Amino acid sequence: MKKDSNVLKKLVDILDKVEKPSRYIGNEYNSVKKDAELSMCLIFPDLYDVGMSHFGVKILYDIVNKTDFAKCERAYLPWPDMQKIMIDKGIPLYSYETYTPVKAFDVIGFTLQYEMSYPNVLRALRLGDIPIKSAHRSDEDPIVIAGGPCTFNPTPIEDFVDAFLIGDGEEATTEMLVAIKKGRSRSEKLEFLSKIEGVYVPRYNNKVRKRIISEMKMDWAPVDQIIPYTEIVHDRGVVEIMRGCTNGCRFCQAGMIYRPVRERSATEIYDVSKKIVERTGYEELGLLSLSSADHSQINDTVDLLKKITDTSFSIPSTRANALTVEIAEAIGTIRKSGITIAPEAGTQRLRNVINKGITEDDIFSAAKLAIEKGWKKIKLYFMIGLPTETDEDVKAIGILIDKIKRMGFHEISATIGVFVPKAHTPFQFEAQIMPDEAFRRFKLLNWTRRFAKLNFTDPYKAIIEGVLSRGGKAIGEVVEEAEKQDLIFADWDEMFNPGKWMKIFEDKKIDLQKIMSAKSFKDPFPWDFVDSGISKGFLWSEHLKSIKERLTPDCRDGCTGCGVCQKFNVDNVIQEGIS
Amino acid sequence: MKYLFHYKRIGLLRYLSNHEMIRMIERVLRRTDVRFKMTEGFHQRLKLSFGQALPTGVIDRAGLFLLSTDEILDHDFLKAANSVSPPEFEIFKIDKVDEHFELGKSVDGYFFKLIFLKEPEIQDGWKVENKGKIWIVSFFNAFNSHSPKPGEFGQYLTIRNNAIFKD
Ligand code: SF4
Repeated sequence: MKKDSNVLKKLVDILDKVEKPSRYIGNEYNSVKKDAELSMCLIFPDLYDVGMSHFGVKILYDIVNKTDFAKCERAYLPWPDMQKIMIDKGIPLYSYETYTPVKAFDVIGFTLQYEMSYPNVLRALRLGDIPIKSAHRSDEDPIVIAGGPCTFNPTPIEDFVDAFLIGDGEEATTEMLVAIKKGRSRSEKLEFLSKIEGVYVPRYNNKVRKRIISEMKMDWAPVDQIIPYTEIVHDRGVVEIMRGCTNGCRFCQAGMIYRPVRERSATEIYDVSKKIVERTGYEELGLLSLSSADHSQINDTVDLLKKITDTSFSIPSTRANALTVEIAEAIGTIRKSGITIAPEAGTQRLRNVINKGITEDDIFSAAKLAIEKGWKKIKLYFMIGLPTETDEDVKAIGILIDKIKRMGFHEISATIGVFVPKAHTPFQFEAQIMPDEAFRRFKLLNWTRRFAKLNFTDPYKAIIEGVLSRGGKAIGEVVEEAEKQDLIFADWDEMFNPGKWMKIFEDKKIDLQKIMSAKSFKDPFPWDFVDSGISKGFLWSEHLKSIKERLTPDCRDGCTGCGVCQKFNVDNVIQEGIS
Repeated sequence: MKYLFHYKRIGLLRYLSNHEMIRMIERVLRRTDVRFKMTEGFHQRLKLSFGQALPTGVIDRAGLFLLSTDEILDHDFLKAANSVSPPEFEIFKIDKVDEHFELGKSVDGYFFKLIFLKEPEIQDGWKVENKGKIWIVSFFNAFNSHSPKPGEFGQYLTIRNNAIFKD
């Protein structure tokens, strides 16, 4: 790989002209510059400020840079003002470690965290001067791989990616790099890749089973985390305390695809945290998991972390029960931003449908405790458009907000999203509501604006997310056209243009009603060839139970038969209490 | 004890905003073995006071901040702090100062240098030196008066060169 001193020279001439130049300068503390036989550039297909907050990149960056044969650098998608100047001045997309054009790397790795970033992936390739379509790439071009939750339905972007890694990347990434190093030609590399468990190479594999790690090894926890100069979305160190979740919420894709649960022990969490604080100087650490309050050693963890002084800790406190509030309180000082809980639905009936294992009592006791502990602000999360939802369920959201506000919060805000059914969940068989209906249901809640700050997510965004999530190969053309029409950063309100998206769907003859409609067990899905370990039969039976409002218990207390553990010969990794 | 830190930021680090610079320095200090006093609150911060803020894009060879601590900060500390600093940032001197020392009262101003790639229009108080294809302008700026912005006079580079202390 050749270094390009040109990029750096040109950068110096333009950075005065863009907004927030620090997000493009790279060379941050703890970034790794090394020489190696094989080079990979991980590209986060969004702005630096978002991408730097993402934990998966930190894990893989660390693992690859610890190998003796490969190195890993990073790149992000520049904001349009920077893109324009880069194109004008002939600056290609470059890596943040050595300012090398991404085209000069052996491997490009994308992380696909949300479907709306697909056009960004194509834009990054274009800025990097790499052919957008896999079929047009030659031996000279990098191998383009992708990982992340969206790969569980890879079909909408499989024309643009050479190989997908589906599932946990800790072991598979290194195996993939070895395969790429061994292959002499592009086709040989792809052939070797297609033999790796968890890897899907379009045209080489017709089936793929997700990759899994049976436990979270200490070595895989990155401690030398890169410190951004720019203020980013979550500017803090991160310790992953648990992967997977056993609650079994029926709408939640992460809860299904990351099974089984793998907890890291309290002492390990403490050791990793201490090292991160020493090596980074971070004043805040985030404990990452899908449901922190479920960690078996969460109390021991909190006790141990108190030994690390001058540092605040934060947990995503979305599970609406008293324990969550207790942990949030125990772990740090009260935050100005308030406490967040997610009842998801307004009535107990509907919470049972989605298998959100909390009761109204749980919600109220969480709110009561939050008041007692001194929180003045509370944020609530809900969805509309959930299966079986009636107007009564929607109205009940307002009543719940009202009741919680009356408990004595100074400020209450509620974010209300439109439910988007996701692949590999029990609700993959369900219909998604269209924008007109979503707007009608939103109106049922308008009266709560008198006392609460309501934040409705855009129903058109939900439609596009729905199409990109549950669509098949034909959606690839939509993504390609969207990038051409500059529909990048679609997740950013100021960049979102629903009219143009709808026009593309029409031009490409995408049958929205069909993609959005309910499906039966026999209907084929574009992602049927991806085996998440959970059988379609289990998902269907969960779907049937949801209609009957029947609950499925947490599988920590006994297997409920999703099939992952048997298929992969693994178990939930639950830590013993240590007090 | 009160210490006056002298630092410089060069290269691409000049693109840090004032706020980003302060946070970067706080984290450098937190990475050293010395435990400094923190402010109360969720986000615990170091108690530092800085010299005059600079516009984004200006190279700084005259950065200053004050830090009060019970610890003794010697040359070894300076070396240790630099070993955990990002590239293009360096603390080059730490002076022990009187408890009553304040930057606003002690710093008279700064000398700036502007580098031009074509002959500049001369302003009041400018000293110009021509070296082949470049022109180097230097001038004094009183503390807390307007700092030159990058490109303000058509200059290629803007450098805050050195601080002038009273007495
Ligand atoms: S196989 Fe059983 S124990 Fe394992 S994740 Fe599925 S439901 Fe839980």
